[in-house]
Amino acid sequence: MTRIIPFILYLLLIAMHEVIVRDATTIYSAAIDLPGLLVLVVAIYKPEIVCTWFGFAAGLVMAAGRPDLFGWHALTMAALGLATYHFRERLNLESLYSKVVLIFGGVLLHGTLVLAVTKEAGFLYLWLVSALPSAVYTTAVGWAFFLFKEKKITFQKVKAVF
Amino acid sequence: MSWLFDLFSRRSRNVHFGLVVVLSLVLILGHTKINSFVSQFLLSSLYYPFFKIRSSFEDAGVRASDLDRLQKALVEASVKLSMCQEAQRENDRLRAALGFEHPPGYRLTPAKVVSISGFGRHLPNSATINRGAKDSIFPDLPIINQDGLIGRVASVTDDYATIQLLTDPSHRVAARLAGSREMGIVKYLAQGGMMLDNFPVQGDISVGDNVLSSGLGGVYPAGLKIGTVVEVSRPENNPFCRVKLKPAANVRSLEEIFVLRPEPQ
Repeated sequence: MTRIIPFILYLLLIAMHEVIVRDATTIYSAAIDLPGLLVLVVAIYKPEIVCTWFGFAAGLVMAAGRPDLFGWHALTMAALGLATYHFRERLNLESLYSKVVLIFGGVLLHGTLVLAVTKEAGFLYLWLVSALPSAVYTTAVGWAFFLFKEKKITFQKVKAVF
Repeated sequence: MSWLFDLFSRRSRNVHFGLVVVLSLVLILGHTKINSFVSQFLLSSLYYPFFKIRSSFEDAGVRASDLDRLQKALVEASVKLSMCQEAQRENDRLRAALGFEHPPGYRLTPAKVVSISGFGRHLPNSATINRGAKDSIFPDLPIINQDGLIGRVASVTDDYATIQLLTDPSHRVAARLAGSREMGIVKYLAQGGMMLDNFPVQGDISVGDNVLSSGLGGVYPAGLKIGTVVEVSRPENNPFCRVKLKPAANVRSLEEIFVLRPEPQ
């Protein structure tokens, strides 16, 4: 039971991001795709079944305000988690840059799928002005996360700079 | 039954993924009631605390902006109120001036006091008005307001004139009592205030008598109120009373005044 607590916290983090943080951190039309980023990070570090179910749950939480698109979001996120897991298994993900590339590809794919699912008009335009910049923005956040996680940047180093 | 267990354990990955697909398909194709129930559950369990936090922040922001707006409105209202009160006071003064009857043979030229000089421990002794030679103002014209005599024009430029007030110690006005018609000379002493000088001890004078200009001397017409007697003393071995006056016009608060110009013959 205690093993699922971190995942519940991740889901709460997604809810908090959608309600409070998203608008504050959006730059023009580029927003952080936190649900996608979390699913990808979980898929990089956790077993296959865990990342599939977490993707499913993250999709549900992310689309809580759009019940008509629940299923599609849950399915795309679960598929994203599963696909990322298999990429991780088949590729060498020791390098930080390979993880960053995987994050970028995953978030871009997620943004593209979300646009396809919501069936908004001007798909290509929205992809260029929203999905692509959001993927770059989210990748930058993910990169910072990996730098801290792999201790390439530590608080001591940051303090030493100042 | 064991074959099912074996299948499940060997192919658990496919079973899990199959379950996810089935659940997703149920949500995609299923009844809207299911979706609404799941949505309500997620919103009330995961989202609700953050909605509360966000709404409280927004309320605080709205309250702060309301406070700023109300403070600004309060300042604006205070300024408007002050201006209204000032306009009311000016209105009262002008209404009082309208009822003022000027001496016959003279016409009134209204003017505004632009500066008063000589403040200090004593009353001011001169003032400047916004009328000058261009308005046919020349030296020695009497200056009055609705309360009474103020002084005379001392010097003139094209646009402005300087007034010598009654409170200038070098100024003298020939005066008489309104009741007994006995005469004296009004002057202002820096130490003693406004006095009626040269009034004989036998004269009929008492506190509260009005003192008017007598018309002698050629500067001031007769009948302009100068002040009121507030103190009378008759010193021994002195042929004149000591009479203290309260000036009719308050020279500290001069604003609108009138220049008395003789009407053309």
